[in-house]
Amino acid sequence: MSQSSSTGNFDVASLVEDVNLRRVAQYALVVFFLGFFLVPLETGIMTAIKTNESVARSLPFAPPVGEGFTLGNIQFALEQLSGSFFNSLIMSIPATIGSVLFGSMAAYGLTMVNWRAQMGMLMLFVVGVFVPYQAVLVPLARFWNNIFPLARMIEPMVASIPFFQGYHAELVPLVITHIAYGIPICTILFRSYYQSLPNSLVEAGKIDGASITKIYRRIILPISKPMFGVVFIYQFTQIYNEFLFAFTLVTGSDAPAAPVTLVLPAIGASTSGINFGIRMSAAFLAAVPTLILYVAFAEQFAKGLRTEA
Amino acid sequence: MGQIQLTDLTKRFGDTVAVDDLSLDIDDEEFLVLVGPSGCGKSTTLRMLAGLETPTSGDIYIGGDHMNYRVPQNRDIAMVFQDYALYPHMTVRQNIRFGLEEEEGYTSAERDERVVEVAETLGIADLLDRKPDELSGGQQQRVALGRAIVRDPEVFLMDEPLSNLDAKLRAEMRTELQNLQDQLAVTTVYVTHNQTEAMTMADRIAVMDDGELQQVASPFECYHEPNNLFVAEFIGEPMINLVRGTRSESTFVGEHFSYPLDEDVMESVDDRDDFVLGVRPEDIEVADAAPDDAALDDHDLQMDVTVVEPHGDQNVLHLSHPDQPSADDALQAVTEGMHLVTRGDRVTVTIPPDKIHLFDAETGTAVHNRRHDQEADFTQLEQ
Repeated sequence: MSQSSSTGNFDVASLVEDVNLRRVAQYALVVFFLGFFLVPLETGIMTAIKTNESVARSLPFAPPVGEGFTLGNIQFALEQLSGSFFNSLIMSIPATIGSVLFGSMAAYGLTMVNWRAQMGMLMLFVVGVFVPYQAVLVPLARFWNNIFPLARMIEPMVASIPFFQGYHAELVPLVITHIAYGIPICTILFRSYYQSLPNSLVEAGKIDGASITKIYRRIILPISKPMFGVVFIYQFTQIYNEFLFAFTLVTGSDAPAAPVTLVLPAIGASTSGINFGIRMSAAFLAAVPTLILYVAFAEQFAKGLRTEA
Repeated sequence: MGQIQLTDLTKRFGDTVAVDDLSLDIDDEEFLVLVGPSGCGKSTTLRMLAGLETPTSGDIYIGGDHMNYRVPQNRDIAMVFQDYALYPHMTVRQNIRFGLEEEEGYTSAERDERVVEVAETLGIADLLDRKPDELSGGQQQRVALGRAIVRDPEVFLMDEPLSNLDAKLRAEMRTELQNLQDQLAVTTVYVTHNQTEAMTMADRIAVMDDGELQQVASPFECYHEPNNLFVAEFIGEPMINLVRGTRSESTFVGEHFSYPLDEDVMESVDDRDDFVLGVRPEDIEVADAAPDDAALDDHDLQMDVTVVEPHGDQNVLHLSHPDQPSADDALQAVTEGMHLVTRGDRVTVTIPPDKIHLFDAETGTAVHNRRHDQEADFTQLEQ
């Protein structure tokens, strides 16, 4: 009863009253920026589902009409990328888990456990964040190729795992490199979170007789779940999108172990010119895993950002 | 079993001395309250007892065993934290059980049983499967207590456990804590900055200031026979009246009044000249104004009432001298709630000579405390 009356009494006049210049300007601005950010995206999607001919003839953001529509681009891009998708995932997932886990452990050790030389250790981690990628490329390549050719050593072993080929061994040094390079930033991120936790939790654990590892495993690790969400998303995006290390260690887009970032620039480019439809399709496909991750961890992410602030 | 001995305990953090040469014996099953203003070293002392801080020097004995290098788990203690420190991701049951996991001599089933038993003692059995953030402050407090008693320790350490509760609940939990301590007969060291908690709960109070122990005594003694100015000021609400002054012959001359000193007071004065005279507000007698100064006794003063604070059962009067209506009050007095006085009234104030305290103005040590004839005091109480 009350519901029907409330809709019945809907006051149209008040809507008009609320309209003033300020509000109009506000909404105009919102609509403008919405378009500003969405049009490129829309253009990309439209290009991805247009035939090459249609791309050349219609406006970039206009939707395809009639014969101009095709899913062939996406199909083709998927075929080209499928191998490298697999490579990218088996590289970035262990690398992310590794660096996040080790980062959290290091942060726990540096923040909530007391020992000498803590400050010095922390400084090393901070320095680690600022070591530029370019500076280590040559030593890195020499290390993994000449000094410690891990990939060649474990190749037969990797080949014997189902679904894996021998060349996937090339990704192992890359995983280790990413973990090593990711630990400092993950540590710093976790450290700020752990510093905000009450110290009494660890102390209560100590009084309850728990060892340092048990306190980490049973108390700190479960409590830092929201922070794991944040750091995991951040680190996964970093590693998945990374190009330099992959380029140095896997070398070239035609290598069978090449991750998505190496293959992407080569797709849709040929001597006859650039096929924009295929390029756009591939670009969107390449972005899908990170998008899925954001959606899946959205809640944790928001919670983590909230607790951090 | 649970007696505690602290000898020459000192803790330094860099250049600051948090606890300075503290020696203290605590009896088995005693309820000792460590009290003092923030930063006086009371929490550090407790944390050293718990094993969360290592003493810079000195020794800690619990039950006769040397504890300095033992991890908290092996000290047979349990601690309740100010913020309760409940593990937020665990249920109440898991929270209480956590401390039992490292204890030997329990089977898994026995542990579960013990948790339920403890929860029943504290009246939280129906909350066992909830998480801490679904509980009220009082319930969280109980869980924190449960976590402490589940291991059946020899010593309880409590770090301001009631300070996060509202006033009514605090009073309730105070009684409950005392009952619990009685029931379990566990030595308890309780840290607080709240002198009401200290007075009401303690068997003995240890007053600390600036890392140093000022006095260890029963609440009664701390109140009536303070060792020094600090204890006198810290214990008691409203605060004790303190008047600075000097002695000329056998008269104390303060800023607002002079006061003749009795013979027995003079005996303990020796040849000191600078004093602080102290008298508890409730010991001051307030009567209607005398018609003229001639009617006044040596120990009487004419004063104006500047502020009246009614508390229902008592009124707190702020008094100032009629000739010097300075901004700060000369004295505060407590009268009975039914004794109606209005602001601006002139009254005759009597400071009974047997109720005064005298402190050395330089060192702060008590030179003379109120005549403390227990017999007489108790008869008065019985009236």
